[in-house]
Amino acid sequence: MSVLKMIDVEKHCQDRVIFPSFQLEVAGGNVIALLSSTDVRQALLNMVAGKELIYNGEIWIKNKKITRNRSHFSELGVLFLNEGVYERLCVKDHLLFYKRLYDSKLTMESVYQLTQLSEKKYAQVKELSYSEVRRLQTAKLLFGDPSLFILEEPDQNVDLETKGILLNIISFLQKKGKGIVVLTGNMESAITLTDKIYRLDEKGLQEMDMKDDRSGKEETDLLVERNEVPIPMPFQKIPTKVNEKIILFDPSEVDYIESYSGQSHVHIGEEAFPCVFTLNKLEAKLTSFGFFRCHRSYIVNLQKVREVITWTRNSYSLKLENKVGSEIPLSKNKMAELKDLLELK
Amino acid sequence: MNVSMRRVYAIFVKDFKELSKNMYVLTTLLTPLLLAFVFGQAETVSLKIQLMIINITFVSVTAFVQSAIIAEEKEKNTLRGLMMSPASTADILGGKSLLSVILTVGTMILCLLITDFHLINEPMLLLALLISLVFYAGLGTLLGLWTKSLLEASVAIVPVIFILGMGTLFQKLIQPYPLLKFMEYFPNFQLEFLTEAVEREASFGEVLGYFGVITGWTVLVLIVTVTVYRKRSMDE
Repeated sequence: MSVLKMIDVEKHCQDRVIFPSFQLEVAGGNVIALLSSTDVRQALLNMVAGKELIYNGEIWIKNKKITRNRSHFSELGVLFLNEGVYERLCVKDHLLFYKRLYDSKLTMESVYQLTQLSEKKYAQVKELSYSEVRRLQTAKLLFGDPSLFILEEPDQNVDLETKGILLNIISFLQKKGKGIVVLTGNMESAITLTDKIYRLDEKGLQEMDMKDDRSGKEETDLLVERNEVPIPMPFQKIPTKVNEKIILFDPSEVDYIESYSGQSHVHIGEEAFPCVFTLNKLEAKLTSFGFFRCHRSYIVNLQKVREVITWTRNSYSLKLENKVGSEIPLSKNKMAELKDLLELK
Repeated sequence: MNVSMRRVYAIFVKDFKELSKNMYVLTTLLTPLLLAFVFGQAETVSLKIQLMIINITFVSVTAFVQSAIIAEEKEKNTLRGLMMSPASTADILGGKSLLSVILTVGTMILCLLITDFHLINEPMLLLALLISLVFYAGLGTLLGLWTKSLLEASVAIVPVIFILGMGTLFQKLIQPYPLLKFMEYFPNFQLEFLTEAVEREASFGEVLGYFGVITGWTVLVLIVTVTVYRKRSMDE
């Protein structure tokens, strides 16, 4: 049973595409992340919060279509990034208010336990730290008990303890068969909190390949055991490592690769991921995909280069067409090589 | 629109606890009491002064408290959460109005005791006071919806205090200007005329006229409030 269904939803702002039409279905018990920029996130949240009418496509939350009458609110819980709290209440009164408001059967004890707020029971909300306030806001969703939870940047700026508590709450909700969508711009938080990551931007919705490090090891162990010679496949992805997980990127997604402090980093959009390979190795792999070693410590995806900037006669930069407009150094002897590549003479 | 008493109660208790720690709003409750105390020192308090104290109570307690708790809800970004909860519009406004109404009734009784208001047993006047209460609660809601923060709300209430709270004092001032005559149709003037009519035991029809104007204002304010609320509900 799907708790969230998005059919052909798209969003334009004047002439700009925020995100093109896409389909997404989230079943109960699933935790997914939508990796997106603030614009996209805001547009999606405005849609589900009924602030913005959905002109193209439909969004269904459980069995309720989002319309003006807002009947879908009973199945939806949203943790906004700038959610408000009543600062003058104490934690206990605050939670009691949520409990009464939602007419919830959940006991106060279980909520204290899930959010680890029992020590702060009698503290005024304005004396809580940001992390604790975040936990208090999460408690509201627990009392609301909807089928779909949408969490906007749930672990942004929170302490380690709160992150752990959040993970607990997510797995608690998952066991109860709730659907959870994490909206975040941070790859790392998407990876730690969820099982499945989609990237949503002006190019559309794209599922990201992810492989758990541990299961990967098991697979290779199996191969060794069976003593089979693995057939060499033309490998087309760039593996990067975040915490325990390996993420595979399509070469076409990559803007450029940079090497510093003895480690190569794959830059995608505004984020960088440490890569297991050295630059030389990557260069060998990627040349056929239109990558170019433009500097001793840079490999650039030529497809993404918009402009070659000449600062002085001997110093150049490459300007990329990504959102941040990254500038990458181009060394002078490589300039000749680049000219050859571009067949400029 | 269904009203759930539990939710109204939940919102009422929450607002009450919050307000009890908000010195800034609480001190405004003292204004009418202070005035009543000062004017109550005189041997006999004129009807005009008594009416002014009643009107000031309505403005500074009912309307101000109501607008303050709604504006603060917006300022702190909590209104959206409330609206996305199962609480309906009626629940939210009901819970909030309950608080300001109870505070008004308390303050009003104290003020009337201090100034020794003798007409309180007149059913027509009592009814007019009740309708006025609804009017000012609606007005407070409207101000709360129009403003964005507690600070803005307390600025917006100032002209209301002057016009609706103390306006009757300026009756002499506006008399030479026929252009300002329309002010006499404001609910505070109407309430004063009604009280005077009741005191001199005027005909029932005359009293009913004033009563009708007050009711008209109330209905108007309620309609505007509900419309604005519907329109604004998701803006902030």
